[in-house]
Amino acid sequence: MTDTAASASAPRFARIWDAPVRLFHWLLVALIAFSWWSGEQHEMDWHRLSGYSILALLVFRLFWGFAGSRTARFAQFVRGPGAVLAYARNIGRRPYAGSDGHNALGGWSVILLLAAIAAMVTAGLFAVDVDGLESGPLADYVSFDQGRAAAEVHEAMFNVLLALIALHVLAILFYLVWHRRNLIRPMVSGRRALDATEAASDLRWSPWKAALGVVLAAACAYAVSQGLRF
Amino acid sequence: MTRSKAPKFTQIGLVVAAAVTALVTAGTLAAAAPSPAVKTAIATRQANFKKMGAAMKTLNEQLKADAPNKAAMAGAAKALLAAARAQPKLFPAGSGPSSGVKTEALANIWTDRATFDGQMTKLLGEANKLVGATSGGNADAIRAQYKATGASCSSCHRQFRADT
Repeated sequence: MTDTAASASAPRFARIWDAPVRLFHWLLVALIAFSWWSGEQHEMDWHRLSGYSILALLVFRLFWGFAGSRTARFAQFVRGPGAVLAYARNIGRRPYAGSDGHNALGGWSVILLLAAIAAMVTAGLFAVDVDGLESGPLADYVSFDQGRAAAEVHEAMFNVLLALIALHVLAILFYLVWHRRNLIRPMVSGRRALDATEAASDLRWSPWKAALGVVLAAACAYAVSQGLRF
Repeated sequence: MTRSKAPKFTQIGLVVAAAVTALVTAGTLAAAAPSPAVKTAIATRQANFKKMGAAMKTLNEQLKADAPNKAAMAGAAKALLAAARAQPKLFPAGSGPSSGVKTEALANIWTDRATFDGQMTKLLGEANKLVGATSGGNADAIRAQYKATGASCSSCHRQFRADT
């Protein structure tokens, strides 16, 4: 009797984001901000370092999309158009039923954000500044004009990325205001409160696989920073 | 009363609209039709700046290499000097942002011409020294002069080029 009363009043929690996913997310936020700042200030040594770090994060996230916990895996959150449409149609319906990790629409938001950041990093690697003084580590492989074109793509992609980030933040505000769902706290703590009818499912990940991913990411970023010359 | 007024306002509105349209069209035409000489000057100076940028890129890469290619560096320095020599004549009056041609040249080139010309002279001096250093072949000397030349690019660009 007391057991059921307690479980009905005190919220039950489930772990939904593993530590590497959360660390990836907040490091990415910080590094994108720092990249913007260092680029604006023409602090190109810092800007390059920041870009290599973002590259490492991307490689890790790609690896973790196959080796991470349930909610980190692409196979779990990249859904077909049918599932996306079905989710989008009922997005405003209340009460809102929480998703196990990314929802069908949010999963594609993650993919778009990752693709935009990857495109931006790639363009930056080949970019040359207008004076031919500063360049990405792979600019040696392209001509001055191609390097300038890469720099223009790099700049244009930043506006695309800003638009996607704005959409990301607006979506989080929508869930907060319309559905009274705080999605920010779980990205910090890793946990969210379960609905009364929801069953808690476990979240498992291997520190060894995470370590392997970190080594892989660091090796890739280092190789690229050296212009793939050893 | 109000009925008789309404057409009058419409007529005034039409006249104003026609005048505005005429002015805007004239302005657009004037801006869209720079003289051929101005167009050539802008295109030529932009091509020269690209040659200088490409030369700096070549020098930068060679200086990073384990065994820099001396001929490549000397060629780049000469190309840079040749392009730099042509530049001062390629900023005629009316070839600034008001020309209607896409240019990052700021208007203060023409209002502060003495400073601009001084920067051009400085660039020529550095480019000459760069040719000297590359013919000498000492990598450290080339690197130092490469940096001095690059500093003259940046300092002039901060003053006289739109930061995009």
